[in-house]
Amino acid sequence: MRYLLALLIFAVTLLFVAVGWVTSGGLARAEIRSASTPTEAVQALLADVQSHNWDRAYARLANNKDIDRSAFERDLSGSYRSLRTYSSLEGFDVWPIHAASEQAVVRANLHWSTAVGPIDDVRDLKVEHQGSSWKVDWPSPNLPKVPPQVIPVNYLRWDVINRGPEDDWGEQNVDTPQVRIISMNPVERPDRLIILGEIVNEDTVPAYVNVNATLLDQHNAPMSQEGSFDKISHTLLPKQVSPYRIDFPGIKLKQIKSVRMDAKAMLVPASADPVIEVSGQRMNTDALGKKVLSGELLNESGQPVNIAQTLAVFYDSNGRVIWVSDGYIDQALLPQTPVHFAVDLPDDVAAKVQNYHVTVNHYSSGNS
Amino acid sequence: MDQRDTSFFRRPIPPAAIVLIALVVHAPLLIMQLPTTTTYDANFHIFFASHYAHHWFNPWNEQWFAGFSQTTYPPLGHQWIAILSFIFGLNMAYMLVQLIGVVLLPVGVFRFARLWVSERAASYAALLSVFLGTVAFLVYSAGQLSTTVSAPFYLLALPYFYEWLRWGRGRALAKGVVLTLVAASIHHVTLLFGAILFAAPVLMLAWMDRRAERDGGGLAVLGRAAVFTALSAIGVAIVLLPYWISILQHPIEQVPIPHASRSNFLLNVDYGMNYFIVPYGALILALPFIVIRGASVPRLRPLLIFFWIAFIFGLGGTTPLPRLLLGRAFQILTFERFTLLAALLALPIVGLLVEELLDRAPKLASIGVSIAAIATFALALGWMYFSPFKTIGGMNVDSVVSFLNRDGHDKYRYITLGFGNALPKVSTYTTANSVDGEYNSARLLPEMTQYGAAQLTSAKFFGRAGMESLRAMLKHANRYGLKYIFVHDAYYDPLLAFAGWRKIETFDNGLVTVWSKEDVPPARKIESDAIPAPWEGLLWGILPIGCSFFAILLWLLVPDRVRSLEIVPSSTPAEVPTYAREAH
Repeated sequence: MRYLLALLIFAVTLLFVAVGWVTSGGLARAEIRSASTPTEAVQALLADVQSHNWDRAYARLANNKDIDRSAFERDLSGSYRSLRTYSSLEGFDVWPIHAASEQAVVRANLHWSTAVGPIDDVRDLKVEHQGSSWKVDWPSPNLPKVPPQVIPVNYLRWDVINRGPEDDWGEQNVDTPQVRIISMNPVERPDRLIILGEIVNEDTVPAYVNVNATLLDQHNAPMSQEGSFDKISHTLLPKQVSPYRIDFPGIKLKQIKSVRMDAKAMLVPASADPVIEVSGQRMNTDALGKKVLSGELLNESGQPVNIAQTLAVFYDSNGRVIWVSDGYIDQALLPQTPVHFAVDLPDDVAAKVQNYHVTVNHYSSGNS
Repeated sequence: MDQRDTSFFRRPIPPAAIVLIALVVHAPLLIMQLPTTTTYDANFHIFFASHYAHHWFNPWNEQWFAGFSQTTYPPLGHQWIAILSFIFGLNMAYMLVQLIGVVLLPVGVFRFARLWVSERAASYAALLSVFLGTVAFLVYSAGQLSTTVSAPFYLLALPYFYEWLRWGRGRALAKGVVLTLVAASIHHVTLLFGAILFAAPVLMLAWMDRRAERDGGGLAVLGRAAVFTALSAIGVAIVLLPYWISILQHPIEQVPIPHASRSNFLLNVDYGMNYFIVPYGALILALPFIVIRGASVPRLRPLLIFFWIAFIFGLGGTTPLPRLLLGRAFQILTFERFTLLAALLALPIVGLLVEELLDRAPKLASIGVSIAAIATFALALGWMYFSPFKTIGGMNVDSVVSFLNRDGHDKYRYITLGFGNALPKVSTYTTANSVDGEYNSARLLPEMTQYGAAQLTSAKFFGRAGMESLRAMLKHANRYGLKYIFVHDAYYDPLLAFAGWRKIETFDNGLVTVWSKEDVPPARKIESDAIPAPWEGLLWGILPIGCSFFAILLWLLVPDRVRSLEIVPSSTPAEVPTYAREAH
């Protein structure tokens, strides 16, 4: 009788631990690892990618004889300090698209946490039945070999000499470059009000710009202030135009009387390098059924661009800016190597689009 | 006299010797200021103390979160550091207060254990408390000053609680209540759970002992417990009134922030190591004995049951029980502190184990127990270096502080990125204010409360939630006058570059870069309804510290009439007499 309590405590503790293991996903994890269905095979692979267990992930590939392990790892963990190298796979959704006895196609929506914010990546993966389990047929990374060549460097560059190292940037008592907001269009969406437009640098020197908008209510009192943040090209070369977009979550158009726009510009050193060509632009529909503007980027310079951001501006038949959207490219732009891009836009806006223009912002480590 | 009583191995260890050992073990580590470089929270406590050192009666601190109230955290530990800092400096004052905690702990354990076991077993329990892995973990890795300083005060209060319950002595009531108020003024969470996990078994013990003496009066015990509870509750309500006001005005409703101690330790080996193996160490080997002996001896059963509850809570999300019992609070609490509570509750029974081992094989047992205790302590210290979880509290932030304090840069707010727990160190020594901060419960800015991430400086470790929160804050830089960003992790560079910040300076051979945005206006005061009223500041500055002075006065002027409670359990479980008698 005196050991009854001890036995009870041992038993209840074990029971709680077992229940905890099941409810925390221990059982599900064990099932997924068995890869007994196509979906589980993809889940198991992505779980290994998530935990950076590259050896085990590689072992789960049906075609690991045809794909180099380091190329597989580079495909998922990035290279050349691309955005993918600043990313971690935070989660994924997996669902079957097509299944047969020996082959299946599984769609995976990968949720990446990156240095510039969350990014989702949809992939359709072929899965094969091998032995008692399913394995993923990973698409072979296709990295074109660029022939050796000389790239002449003849771009324009503007340098600025500071008065002294103790002065803050922008406090050099020099005239600010002349910039002008050339268009502004408020657009109401179900969950927000968006101010869209374009800004031009009218000066002969580069300008570093930020656009802010203040909403004024019916009594001309400020309601809310937001900035363009990363929906603009901050560095504008002489005569260059940039779209901008400013979001006001939770605000309706009828709540405001007017908008006060404010463009701040600073003289900064800048260069025209690297030159990134945008080609093959077309409107189409992606795998999830969303309208997108897609195309290719080509880095025409001789140095890699680590992270690129595409900024697309859409015009209606009157030439009015009706939408601005952006997207980050998760792989580096290597010299002379085309890279695919796509930015999405709402279906109702897509129906009105007559024209569009894409600009590219870039970040190269060591050159910020 | 029987040789059994005179052998070195069969006599209690004098408490003074145990205190000396605690000093020998912990004082060098604290004099080296180890916690400032190895812990997560030491810099946070020093930052809070620094505010009290400069603004004793004004708990509104504008240096974090564009303004927050320090009445959201009990102040006593920080106020002691603030007072001592005028003599020793902030860092050493922190070490001294922490040293008081670790030296009082064996004293508290000894007095608590005496309620349950013989003086000899209690002395072993006290000695082992010096080497507890969980104490080393909390002091040198977690930096949980408040938990480790308030727990000894609860332990010291418990014998008075028992004395009041058993014999109704007024002086015991006064001392018990005052020590409870001191403990509560140091840490609120320890108050809440300590009251249940420590006081409840003592209440059951007093009730059992009283019934065993056949003097009836079980109801008297319950009545006295009600009086003690009522006085303590009223006292805590008054002493920490500004805390209750702030918590009622702004209950914690922010999106839960993930914490590793809430994980299932079986599914993550590193977490299991960090929150189970390291804190318990060799105590794990004693678990079967604790359960079997605790269950066998009726008098130890209350202790066993509450040890088991604390143990299960210390397992975090490994079992569903804490989540079921705590509900939403499960997502707010961290669970490593329960390991300390479980270990303290287990120590009296472990003292019995050591006593029995020494009786059977004195030399072998003394060597074995010593090795186990030292190995446990060494593992906890060594884990700081082998652990995958690293802190950077020791980072040199002088250049950052110097930048902020010169040329009017403190007119603007700043954040740090990649500074981890070195952020409070910057805040302690700069005159500039930040929108970030390290105390999640005090945050009111929507950019921080709506995303389920903690500090902006560690945004990337919270994944999408963290980066979304950082983006939200950067978008509102102009609103908060957030002009300067100090980066100690190039991970954040791309976001800043795309968002319109420019790198303006580099410190420490490129380890730290400074980014600025030119169109940001100077910071203005952010209006808040959380600013405490002046009278709250007055109460906050007087009552908690007053309690501690009153406790010291009581200790000096009103000596214990009962020197110790002699409870005489034999080493044979079935024959443990369930009575206590006084020794005058």
